[in-house]
Amino acid sequence: MSDLNNRIKEVIIESLELEDITPADIVDSAPIFGKNEKGEGLGLDSIDALELGIAIKDKFGVSFSSAKEETKKHFASVDALAAYITEHSEG
Amino acid sequence: MKPMAGKIFFTAVSVLYPFIVFGGIKLWGLSPRRISLVLLSLAFYYFLIFTRSKTGSDRGRNAVLALLVLACAVVAFVADNIFFVKFYPVLVNLSLLAFFGWTLWKPPSFAFRMANLADKNLKNSASYNAVERYCKKVTIVWCCFFIFNSIVAALTVFIGSDTVWSLYNGLIAYILVGLIFAIEYLVRKMVQSKMQSYVPVCDLELNSRPAGALVSFDAGDSSANKTWGDFVSDVSKVRYYIEARENVPWILHCEDSYYFTVSLLAMLQSGRKALVTANRQEAFIKEIKKPEYGFLTDEPFSASGDATCTATLIQDVLNCAENAGELKFGKFDKSAAKMVMYTSGTTGEPKAVAKLFLQFENELFELVKVFGDDWLNRKVYSTVNHHHIYGLLFTALLPIATGLPFRRHRIDFPVELFSLADTSAVVASSPAFLKRLSLETDRPAGFRKFKFAPIIYSSGGPLPEDVARKANEITGFWPMEIYGSTETGGIAYRQSKNGPVWTPFEVCKMSVAEDGCLNIKSSYILEAEGFTTGDLVDLYDNGRFLLKGRSDSIVKIEEKRISLPEVESRLKQTGLVADVRVVPMVGKRQYLAAAIVLNAAGRKQFEGATKLSINNYFHDFLLKFIENTVSPKKWRYLEELPQNTEGKIRMRDIQALFNLAESPNFKILKFRKEPGVWTGKVVFPASSDYYDGHFPEFKLLPAVAQVDMVLRFARNFLDVPKNITKIHRTKFASPILPDVPVTVKITYDAKSAKVTFSYTKAAEAMGDGEKLLSSGSITMIPETKNPEGAKNA
Repeated sequence: MSDLNNRIKEVIIESLELEDITPADIVDSAPIFGKNEKGEGLGLDSIDALELGIAIKDKFGVSFSSAKEETKKHFASVDALAAYITEHSEG
Repeated sequence: MKPMAGKIFFTAVSVLYPFIVFGGIKLWGLSPRRISLVLLSLAFYYFLIFTRSKTGSDRGRNAVLALLVLACAVVAFVADNIFFVKFYPVLVNLSLLAFFGWTLWKPPSFAFRMANLADKNLKNSASYNAVERYCKKVTIVWCCFFIFNSIVAALTVFIGSDTVWSLYNGLIAYILVGLIFAIEYLVRKMVQSKMQSYVPVCDLELNSRPAGALVSFDAGDSSANKTWGDFVSDVSKVRYYIEARENVPWILHCEDSYYFTVSLLAMLQSGRKALVTANRQEAFIKEIKKPEYGFLTDEPFSASGDATCTATLIQDVLNCAENAGELKFGKFDKSAAKMVMYTSGTTGEPKAVAKLFLQFENELFELVKVFGDDWLNRKVYSTVNHHHIYGLLFTALLPIATGLPFRRHRIDFPVELFSLADTSAVVASSPAFLKRLSLETDRPAGFRKFKFAPIIYSSGGPLPEDVARKANEITGFWPMEIYGSTETGGIAYRQSKNGPVWTPFEVCKMSVAEDGCLNIKSSYILEAEGFTTGDLVDLYDNGRFLLKGRSDSIVKIEEKRISLPEVESRLKQTGLVADVRVVPMVGKRQYLAAAIVLNAAGRKQFEGATKLSINNYFHDFLLKFIENTVSPKKWRYLEELPQNTEGKIRMRDIQALFNLAESPNFKILKFRKEPGVWTGKVVFPASSDYYDGHFPEFKLLPAVAQVDMVLRFARNFLDVPKNITKIHRTKFASPILPDVPVTVKITYDAKSAKVTFSYTKAAEAMGDGEKLLSSGSITMIPETKNPEGAKNA
């Protein structure tokens, strides 16, 4: 598990005040919002999305475009989010 | 001839008819044809009555009677035959039978119409319904008599001689009628003496009851018995005491129902406003009591640091010779007598509700009307507190108003109820008590079954149907639920065996307010616009209604409306949940949280499962019905939901549970919060960090962790200040082991800022009680309660 992925998971848990869940419980490729056909995923809702967007921006210094579809893609999974952050962070 | 004189003349002819006929035949030797002229004139008379009859049924009856009498008269005249002349008494009897029978078919019954004419105030009487039932029976008896009399009269026509006919119809039949009147009169007197001798509380006088009549009693102690004579004299003493003082108003708290009733009646009769409080915690009394207020109670009370905050012991008042004298006891003005009640605070902090005694009096009247007949010759017992409205009405005021003896002390434990097996009792109870009764497996020695089913009332919250059924199995009575509140008094009643629909008391007029909540107007709600409850309702045309949950149970979570009961019932739909409460929470965002008690199936299904996977199971299930935003985000699995002493589950207690973040280090299995006291069953799993660094092979919970947990619980549930001055007198007698549930009891005394705690464990051997593991106390630094000052600083 990459260090960045782990940090993202910690930010998710901390910023959303999630209970009963540890970074190890989050599957890297599983959806953050809703669930996939295998039943994996955090099942977060749209309010969590707003909250998480701000937290990621604060912690990793990346901003997201206002195009909804685009943003949605970046938040598809922890892996996707990590890829986006790696690509857009300064250094 | 004037109408009145004509009426008297024909009534006399009708009554004396058998003798006129007899005289005509035997004495004056008249022919049947001539005698039939009398019958003809009677037929004419009935025809006249017919033309003047107003109602359809009267017209029909008189028309038929006139026609039949006319037919007999004509036949008798034409055939010159005495047989048809003699048929008249049979026709009169059949006509009366038809009329009485008709009033049974279309009430009010004849006897009840007469009773209402005789007593214009009957419709305002609490025994109205009982009188109505009695009159119906009387009417039935009369119908039976008319059937019998018609048959005998017909027999005398067919087979009796002229003498037998006139003797029976002219004399014996009238004697029988007189006998029935006499017997009915005696029976009525007997029934009346058995009927509840209801006297409105404000109209009670010295001689309202016999001096020796039992007013109050206690379990197995006849020296505690109080008669009407004692009651009057005790009320008088308290009146002397409070009337000699300027204190107004009076705070009242007495654990003993007898002392309570004596004190309350004295205050009402003396025109002193009474503040009736169930809570006699020092802090609460200090808060409500001003120096000029009186405080009457039956247990010693003192408030430290406040010399003006003292109480009068009622026992001292009753023992003091100064308060004896010519008896002061009598009527008072119910519209001027004032009281204050405090709500139990299901939905918020306890709230003071001002009352006029008139409101209670009107409600008592209604209760006696609906339930009074069932209480004959019973004794009144209580499992609820008489300082709250339902207990006040059922266990103090009703017994006094109806003359039923009441027990001085509450029944606290379900097992005690079995001692009433041979007593005919009325028990004012609550869902909390009945729930515990339904789980009670112990039976006292010698108990077989209830010889007399007690009449059980339940109020304070909905009574689950399975609990009601179980109570019925145990006692033989399906509890009667009363729906009401401090503000409204009693609103409606139901027995859940007849379905969930409520029947309102007659004086309560129901409507639906704009927000879908129930609005009630009644003779015991003073506001003209009535009172709108927080309960959502389906109102039917006949005034009956179905409750659908509280309106504050509809919340908005991030602009989305959701009904908490709906989420709860969906969770129960899994078939894995015994009990559940969903509460709204506010943190960084608004969300719902669910406290769940799994049932046997649930425990089996989730055995060994991680908490996350259980959460996910319920979350996924809910998403079939509701949006993700309003699906609970946080979960707790408890052994039972926390109830307060009134058996109510308070939203704020559940919310407090969620305010303490879930941790892998400890788990609360159940808890209870009373003022200043928190008791929790807690387990510290072997995986808990708290064991780290101590003995890895023999894990036990370190003292520092124990104290830290106490502080965390105390701060979260008891609003204890943050900082500690001193930890003292702490003993760690026995180790706390991983995965062994322990009971943590924490009390907080705000005055001394002291937290006292103990950890105990149920002993392994049955019946050993509890084993103390550790205990101690901690003094906190009181926080300055001056946020304004803090801002300025």
